[in-house]
Amino acid sequence: MKKVWVVCATGVATSTMVRLRIEQFLADNGIPAVVTQYRVSELSADRVDADAIVTTTGMPDEYSAVVPVINGVALLTGIGEDAALEDLKKVLTAPE
Amino acid sequence: MDFSTVLASVGEFLNGLGPTIVLPVIIIILGLILRMKIGAAIRSGLIVAVGFVGIFLTVGLLGSTVTEIGEAFAKNTGTGLSVIDIGWPAASSLAFGSPIGYLIIPLGILLNVILLLVRATKTLDVDLWNFWHIAFVGALVQFVTGNFWIALFAAVIAFVIALFLADWSAPMVQKYFNLPGISIPHLQSAGYMLLAVPFAWLLRKIPGLRNMKLNPDTTRKRLGLLGEPMVLGFVIGLILALVAGQDIAKALGTAITLAAVMLLIPRMVAILMEGLTPLAVAARTFMNDKFKGREVYIGLDAAVLVGSPAVIAAGLLMVPVEILLAIGLAPLGNQTLPFVDLADGVFVAALLAPLVGGDLVMTVILGAIVMGIGLWFCTQIAPAVSSMVQASTNIDIPEGYNLFTVMSDGSVPISYGFYYLAQTPVVVMIIVALAFVVGLYFLKTRFPLGEKFLPVIMAGEVAQATSTAPVAASDSAAASGDGAAAPKKKPAARGKDS
Repeated sequence: MKKVWVVCATGVATSTMVRLRIEQFLADNGIPAVVTQYRVSELSADRVDADAIVTTTGMPDEYSAVVPVINGVALLTGIGEDAALEDLKKVLTAPE
Repeated sequence: MDFSTVLASVGEFLNGLGPTIVLPVIIIILGLILRMKIGAAIRSGLIVAVGFVGIFLTVGLLGSTVTEIGEAFAKNTGTGLSVIDIGWPAASSLAFGSPIGYLIIPLGILLNVILLLVRATKTLDVDLWNFWHIAFVGALVQFVTGNFWIALFAAVIAFVIALFLADWSAPMVQKYFNLPGISIPHLQSAGYMLLAVPFAWLLRKIPGLRNMKLNPDTTRKRLGLLGEPMVLGFVIGLILALVAGQDIAKALGTAITLAAVMLLIPRMVAILMEGLTPLAVAARTFMNDKFKGREVYIGLDAAVLVGSPAVIAAGLLMVPVEILLAIGLAPLGNQTLPFVDLADGVFVAALLAPLVGGDLVMTVILGAIVMGIGLWFCTQIAPAVSSMVQASTNIDIPEGYNLFTVMSDGSVPISYGFYYLAQTPVVVMIIVALAFVVGLYFLKTRFPLGEKFLPVIMAGEVAQATSTAPVAASDSAAASGDGAAAPKKKPAARGKDS
């Protein structure tokens, strides 16, 4: 099962909005994945155990070296939402 | 029976039912107005109610633990820090659970649409969750005056202030964080700006200060553990309990309880958010349709700013700074003991960092200034917060003790300003509030922040600018198809399949 981490400042507000949107998108597209919310300050790049990170906030550069980091702000504003979800789909359906 | 007595008895009836019954009903009705399906609307309402139940349970857990240690801590240390900070998660449920809180979401949407129609603002606030900061102002005013209509007036003014602050800082936010089309009407961060701006201007003039470089990335890695609320709760809980004279077994129990509270309260809020989200999406779609083709900023949670290195690092440094401030300012009348909101220093730093070009030392100095004053505000509003907590969770607070405050909102000058104004004659409050709004309107139209006024300087380190960029850049790139704007992270996201 693929893992998606949704990251925001508190792990509460914006990440919940984004998680629900992603879960709906994954269900609609029949992509199995576990979506978990985190707060950015409790993470560390050397402990990343996810196939993709969707963040509603800027994240330090070291994360993009270990995992695809996708823009989640688009899922809050609705502008550029499809492109961001498409990116996520590509990452999650890519062959190992 | 005249109209106002009918209204008063309706209000009394609603209050008797409590937020776990009233708010879901309002959510369901609003959901249907915004064209949600009836099943989805009912589900939203129910989850919101469940979230409330969870939040009140956890706050109750916090309350029964700290009432034992707060007073003993203050006595044993001789600091007088007897008012404990119960944090934004509890404050948000108190705010949404107040009469203004019941109305704030439909009221805020309506007000925002009107202000957009008359072109008084450019911000479309889609961050329904953070309407609670406005409701909190209303709840404070209602506590002081006991008058619903004055509280409603205060909430309306506070909402206008939030939108104007968002418009004012939008050029700075968009440029510094590279978030085109976004503004931040989130009072928990935006509310500090007016106080901080003169100090930021001053700090930028001081020669030599800019050379005191503190690297945000190293700071973040060193202080990483402070970023985990559970650990913070355990450590602070243990210290509090031991100083309060509990034996080691009991102190460990207290520490574990406080660690649990720090982890559980936000989880409960996340449940509540799950109910609010479909409504937020429905409102966003509804309002976006109404304002197609206009230049409108999308108003978001300041959470979208905090990943930037200077903000994260400053947020972590605010933990020791706030504790030292609380102790140091105790002789000057501070009684607030920072606790739950220690974990959210990033919100204090979020809009201070761009004022000083992301300089970490200056950001922390600004944070210390606003929080130093803010702790005193928090102490002042403690009686109101304590009574609200007592009423909603049935925690028994001994007569004459003010045990609780809320650092996230209590320290925001706008919250305290309204609390203070509420104690003056109504006429004074109305005149001052309206004058403030007019002043702010001129400020935002004549002196947009980051353009003519305090022009945006980017941080010295290139790393700082690039690492905040990708989120926004991939956004604009996705929207405009402009590949040139997409830096590092975009290719990484696509890398796996190519």
